[in-house]
Amino acid sequence: MKKQTRNILRITIISSIVILVGVTLWFNLTSDIQAIQVGDEAVDFQLETLDGGTVQLSDINEDKGVILNFWGTWCEPCREEMPDMNEVYNEGHDDYELIAVNVSEGEQQINQFLASLDDELSYPIALDRNRDVTKVYQIGPLPTTIAIDKNGVVVDKQEYQLTKDDIHRFVELSTSE
Amino acid sequence: MNPPGTQLCQSCGKMINSDYDKKKIKDLMRYDGSAIRSKTRSRSIFDKIWIFFTSIKVGVAIILIIAIASSIGTIFPQEYFIPVGADPLQYYTENYGTPGRLYYELGFHNLYSSWWFIILIGMLALSLIAASIDRGVPLFKSLKNQRAKKHPTFYKRQRLNLQQANTKNTERVIEGFRKKGYKVKEDQNHYLLEKGRLSRWGPYINHTGLIILLFGSMLRFFPGMYVDELIYITEGDTVQVPETDGQYYVENNEFIVDIYEEEGTVFDATVQNTNETIVSNYQTDMTFYENQNVDVVGAPPDLEVVEDYSLQVNHPYQFEQFELYQSSYDNSQMKSMTFQLEDSNGETVGDRFTVALDNLESTYEVGEGLAVEVRAYAPDFLEIDENGALISETPTPVNPAFVFEVTDDTSSELSLLQIMSSTDITQGNEYSVKFVENENHWATVLTLKKDLTLPLIATGFVIFLIGLFIGSYINHRRIWINDENGFNISAHTNKNYFGLKKEINPVLEDNGYGEIFDRDAQDFDKGVIIVEGK
Repeated sequence: MKKQTRNILRITIISSIVILVGVTLWFNLTSDIQAIQVGDEAVDFQLETLDGGTVQLSDINEDKGVILNFWGTWCEPCREEMPDMNEVYNEGHDDYELIAVNVSEGEQQINQFLASLDDELSYPIALDRNRDVTKVYQIGPLPTTIAIDKNGVVVDKQEYQLTKDDIHRFVELSTSE
Repeated sequence: MNPPGTQLCQSCGKMINSDYDKKKIKDLMRYDGSAIRSKTRSRSIFDKIWIFFTSIKVGVAIILIIAIASSIGTIFPQEYFIPVGADPLQYYTENYGTPGRLYYELGFHNLYSSWWFIILIGMLALSLIAASIDRGVPLFKSLKNQRAKKHPTFYKRQRLNLQQANTKNTERVIEGFRKKGYKVKEDQNHYLLEKGRLSRWGPYINHTGLIILLFGSMLRFFPGMYVDELIYITEGDTVQVPETDGQYYVENNEFIVDIYEEEGTVFDATVQNTNETIVSNYQTDMTFYENQNVDVVGAPPDLEVVEDYSLQVNHPYQFEQFELYQSSYDNSQMKSMTFQLEDSNGETVGDRFTVALDNLESTYEVGEGLAVEVRAYAPDFLEIDENGALISETPTPVNPAFVFEVTDDTSSELSLLQIMSSTDITQGNEYSVKFVENENHWATVLTLKKDLTLPLIATGFVIFLIGLFIGSYINHRRIWINDENGFNISAHTNKNYFGLKKEINPVLEDNGYGEIFDRDAQDFDKGVIIVEGK
């Protein structure tokens, strides 16, 4: 083997092993983290609502920002933040829509919870019966709230209870251009 | 020209470097004295890395580290075996204390996909390739360029050699070896007889197999190459098949467990002798659907039946490149609870009623003019809220609690019912609701498998074994003969000198020569040739 051939062979083999190991590590480390993060494009979905209609993200997102609130009746911070969200929502929601996505609970449980509230919730409640949307968005803890701007881009995400200030921030971010 | 580092002259076999320890003749002959490539002069960073990995010591060290790491990985269970849904850090810390925590932090809980293990495997691959090329290329060259003519000192140096005066029978000796399968190369009156050269390629074939195997297992990390997931389906439910982008759905129509019964077969005695029931069949009667409406996530699927199938253990359902296996089952989830009304004297009143926990009705008519209304329900009862609502800790029905309102013609009364106790809410209740029985869900657990790397890994294994066989069971035997200055013979093999002697001596004897001289046997007992083995 000539010296040049030998050098090419060595460099090729070492580099390809380094690259292959690097690619393998990259696939390995990224396989777990597929959750939709701030800066990602929101995934379109369509869900039934509690009042019998359907809601599709892309329809609303055409001219409005969207806030997605994933919740369950058994989750205490969810129960606590919902009246606050309702209050902010009732101050006006021309520029954005708030969708409370219930994660896989029966309608009896949801209605029972709503009946126990002092005020009726004005915003729509979507039913993610099979956790399809929850899975696609890789929602971990409840509540998780996501703000989507008018361009369909996720601009904020919070995985714990929202304060009123947080809610105002979400509204502001989702309505900004 | 002999490249630097060469120990034996490539054309005549004479020792070039006289400083070389003469006792290490075996080392010298391994590559017929030609230079191991890594010993040649070279200085770039790639050369340095290359030379580092060509070292057998480095290779053995890497294999040792991998072996030790793998054995440490068996001390505590891998993450795959801990309960589903448990937080790994918490699980290892709680169950195994500080060592468990360390185990988790260092990635031993997921050994084969921890970053440092993958790097180790990469280093092993580099070591295998570098060492093979480094030794394989000069070996190939030296075996290809072999000459029949060797210097008399080469003969002397071989472990087996003999010099005799009679040169008349050389041709017959050559013919004798030819009959035993030796290939003969002739150069004037010098002869090289050789067989089993393939043996020398055994390790390289073996290494090629290993490299293919490692490459195949690496591909498992690439998206779309390997899937191994559990699917949990409650009886009657239809769920999406993961990893198919919502294109396929499976419905669990019925989960069946059959047991062996005495039915006049040879198994009757065994069935009688055991107190436990012996399961003969786990089966999921399933329907497989294709979704015609896969555009939008969460949209109601438009399902078209592909086919019905009875899934049994070891009889997977195949679709595309996937396979669905019957893996396990679960009946720990509560499906429904049955209750009975009693009056204050403990007499039953009306009919039993069954509450389906996933689909509660608001009112149950129990006859005799009585109705039971479910005012509130908590699947996993925690406490009663300030405003009287039942608070559930989780959405799973593990500790259900109800507020029932019992209404007859004249009055209504409320009671809170938990699995273990019941409390009157209204004063002086006439009726009490008693828990009778509960029914659990039957859920099947399927395994979704896809492995496109298997053909590659199997090929690697077969090549590995072929290499191992060739290297272990074939002997590379070479005999040099000349009659230039008397009859000279010497022989070399990469293993099993005893076998080689047994092959040579009869041929020599038939032609009137003495037994071949074995230098190693000589060392044990001066001047006397001892027969090895037995």
